[in-house]
Amino acid sequence: MEELKDKSLHLTAEKLAEELQKMDNYTTFYEDLQVLAASYDVSIDDFKNTLVQAVNKGSMETNLRNAVFHWLRSHENNKQMVVREEITSRESLDYLRKAQITWERRIQKSLESMCEEIGIHLSYYRSKADRDEMLQKWNELSTYNTNLERLRPVYAPKDFLEVLFSLHNPNYRMISDDMIWDFTYLPLKVKTLSELRHLYRDLATADLLLGLTTLTKMSCGSTLQGEQERIALGEKVLEYQHAPVCQEFLKLCAPRSLRGRLWTQILGSNVKSSEQHYTELKERVLNYDMLIDKLITKDVQLTACNDDQYFVFEDVLHQIMLCFTRDTDVLSVFNSSTSHPILTSLKGKPSKEAIYPPNGIIPFHGFTMYAAPICYLFNDPVSLYSTFRAFYLRYWFRLHNISSHPQSILGLCILFQRLLQRHETNIWSHFMSHNIHPIRVVFKWLMKGFSGYLLPEQLLNLWDMIIAYDSLEVLPLLAVAILSFRKDNLLQVNTLQNVDSVLVDLSSLNVMSLLQLALKGPNQI
Amino acid sequence: MVTLFKMFDQISLFIVNLTLTFSFHLTSIFVINMKVTYCTDVDRSVVLSNFEKRGWVHVGPDDDWNFYWAGIQTCRSLFSIDSGYRMHDNQMINHFPNHYELSRKDMLVKNIKRYRRELEREGSPLAKRLDGKYLYLDFIPVTFVLPADYNLFVEEYRKVGPSTWIMKPVGKSQGTGIFLINKLSKLKKWSREGKNFNTSAIKESYVISKYIDNPLLIDGKKFDLRLYVLVTSFRPLKAYLFKSGFCRFCTVKYNTSVGEIENLLIHLTNVSLQKQGDEYNSIHGGKLSIQNLRLFLESTRGKTVTEALFDNIVWLIVHSLKSVSYIMSNDRHCFECYGYDIIIDDNLKPWLIEVNASPSLTSTTVNDRILKYKLIDNMLSVVLPPSGIPDVRWNKCPSREAMGNFELLIDEELAAKDKSGPSIKIDQKERLKRKT
Repeated sequence: MEELKDKSLHLTAEKLAEELQKMDNYTTFYEDLQVLAASYDVSIDDFKNTLVQAVNKGSMETNLRNAVFHWLRSHENNKQMVVREEITSRESLDYLRKAQITWERRIQKSLESMCEEIGIHLSYYRSKADRDEMLQKWNELSTYNTNLERLRPVYAPKDFLEVLFSLHNPNYRMISDDMIWDFTYLPLKVKTLSELRHLYRDLATADLLLGLTTLTKMSCGSTLQGEQERIALGEKVLEYQHAPVCQEFLKLCAPRSLRGRLWTQILGSNVKSSEQHYTELKERVLNYDMLIDKLITKDVQLTACNDDQYFVFEDVLHQIMLCFTRDTDVLSVFNSSTSHPILTSLKGKPSKEAIYPPNGIIPFHGFTMYAAPICYLFNDPVSLYSTFRAFYLRYWFRLHNISSHPQSILGLCILFQRLLQRHETNIWSHFMSHNIHPIRVVFKWLMKGFSGYLLPEQLLNLWDMIIAYDSLEVLPLLAVAILSFRKDNLLQVNTLQNVDSVLVDLSSLNVMSLLQLALKGPNQI
Repeated sequence: MVTLFKMFDQISLFIVNLTLTFSFHLTSIFVINMKVTYCTDVDRSVVLSNFEKRGWVHVGPDDDWNFYWAGIQTCRSLFSIDSGYRMHDNQMINHFPNHYELSRKDMLVKNIKRYRRELEREGSPLAKRLDGKYLYLDFIPVTFVLPADYNLFVEEYRKVGPSTWIMKPVGKSQGTGIFLINKLSKLKKWSREGKNFNTSAIKESYVISKYIDNPLLIDGKKFDLRLYVLVTSFRPLKAYLFKSGFCRFCTVKYNTSVGEIENLLIHLTNVSLQKQGDEYNSIHGGKLSIQNLRLFLESTRGKTVTEALFDNIVWLIVHSLKSVSYIMSNDRHCFECYGYDIIIDDNLKPWLIEVNASPSLTSTTVNDRILKYKLIDNMLSVVLPPSGIPDVRWNKCPSREAMGNFELLIDEELAAKDKSGPSIKIDQKERLKRKT
């Protein structure tokens, strides 16, 4: 027995060591270790023990622990992958897989036809002059001129919703054809409210929560004592640099001044090599001119540039979004999702297939909003980029592909519907009787993680909850809470259009109190 | 019951008749039963819709008005001795007669300089100096009035070495007539061309200020703050700050290179100027809320420095008002809303640039309209007594609810009554300064 345990420990260690070597910060870690081994703290006579001691003393142990934490976190999320084989792990439901493939084909066709229409290729080398111009305007890309007039976003959230609506479970036969087909008939398991209460129990039972008060007062006067204590505790937590502790701390919301550091720590986006990585990405942007660049630029222009909350960040957004398209590390999302990147044949002597765009992600209308709120947290584009990317790789990619994962957009939609149906029956039946599909009301919120709908401060509080509880399920919960909060007004209107107008301005909402209300309430939300 | 109501109706009708026939001092007694009348010479929908919302009746300037929303000129002529107009107790007007003490660029500088000298003479710790600079009262850029202080300016210019200065005509607004200079020869050339320098026949004087060449930038762009400050009395000083101020951004990236010194789109934040640029966006109008600025600063720079910055802003507003409190004619009929323009430098130090006595009430965007409507609405509820009818005998202490989005900056009357009152803010401030 003992022997077996030893062996399994050994195997786990081996597996972990192997995985750690693949991680971004491995090289710097290894270098640090070499430096440490050569230092006076480690003696050659008792090499093993002194080395372990030295590692324990410095920050290396913390780094190592955090690395294991991040590895575990990213694998726990994709449990199937560890258990099953690579191929089947992607998606167990055949019809969902097929639907995703069809959807990807449609996107690819639409890209190709756009190229044809405008008369450009998917990508080509940038001319010297163009390259120079772009380099010169790197910090003010909003003034870099490209002709975007005839460009349209490839798809918008509502197009994607239609695709989801068209999903058909072959194991289910509808009683009559004219029934409203919705996700209720898809056999995905989602949490119930009491399960959510359990997941968010810290939030539900917290007496002192940051984020309940807002930044309305100009002169500060005296800060609340509770808030000061939270900040002091947060500083201490950050000092130790333990990612799991940071995550625990974040469960009750971050003080504004610590949020950036907490997020970086938990998401593991504080890699030393990221500066160099970013420069490489920049180089790649400067070398090639791609159709995707135009789409990204157009998206930044249509969303952030016209948004009175985010317009000040337009230039840095242009920059990081362009770099994002070149980042091949993003391809790792395809290991744990249903989707595949688009392959196009490169024009060359032996024509080769290549992933397009290099990161495999085709932006939809509003994609930039995944990054815009993070601009409030960092002054420097590199940390901003790393945190945005980490956020995307962990959460956002699930919001625009078809999968049976409970955190995928499909799972979130179903969760929303179940919650609404069970706990806000009035609203549900009111919508049903007027033929309003509830999911149409909230889909854009869910797909963009509420970005662009709430005030930045409120939005950051919400995203705190996503990271802290490591789950997107807070999105449908908030959606239901908002409908519930505006119930009286909703029950008075009878069309989707009017429902939308009741919900168009969410700027007066306080996210944390709404969530608490939803979680604390007796049986009703 | 119905008959009772009818009786009331008749009584009030009777009173109205009375008020119409009897003389002024009687009006003020029975005014409770009257509708408030207003008069205005500015055609701004945010103002008018607020009056209409309150059910006020529009009358001409020669009729009996209770509330006059006037332009600066109208107000000045109303208060001039020639007009002979005397206001009664139920009348109110939106300017102080000599607001220019604060709102004219040269007067503001003069008053602040004088205020500092006075404090120094009194031996006040506020006027402490370090290396010649005021420790706590150094909140306006070094400024001279031209042509009067020309020699002083030249002396200062020689002392500080190569630097950029900004020239502004004292009486103009919205960025007209402003230019930057970085060579003395340029100023000389300008004065020769104008032929109005060092001569007695000057049409216009200018202020020349040290240009803040290290402004705080967000994503590379310069901005300034527009804050609204409402003063209901100068002696004792009663002032309120509107919480929803905003930042006005330049549309073009900040650039200190000499070649760009003439591109005012880089340097000036005035909306009326930025509007003419190609990059102007009419959806957000280059305006960011002050809450968002604070969120950004707290997140990127930390809580302590951000709070110090906002404390310093409050501090500079209060002291700029104090500098004129004994000069302003403290007419009890008057209140005034000032638009404060403040620039923050990259050390998070705020600089007072200028004060406008009639800040723009035109709305460039939807949010702008909502904000300005609310500004006027809150302003009216602060200046009017609970009855909603102008009355100078009221003690001018609005309830917390009436203040809406305004917060109390200073109320010397309250502070005197209760030592631990609103003067706390300033005490705290001094404590903070001592610490640093």
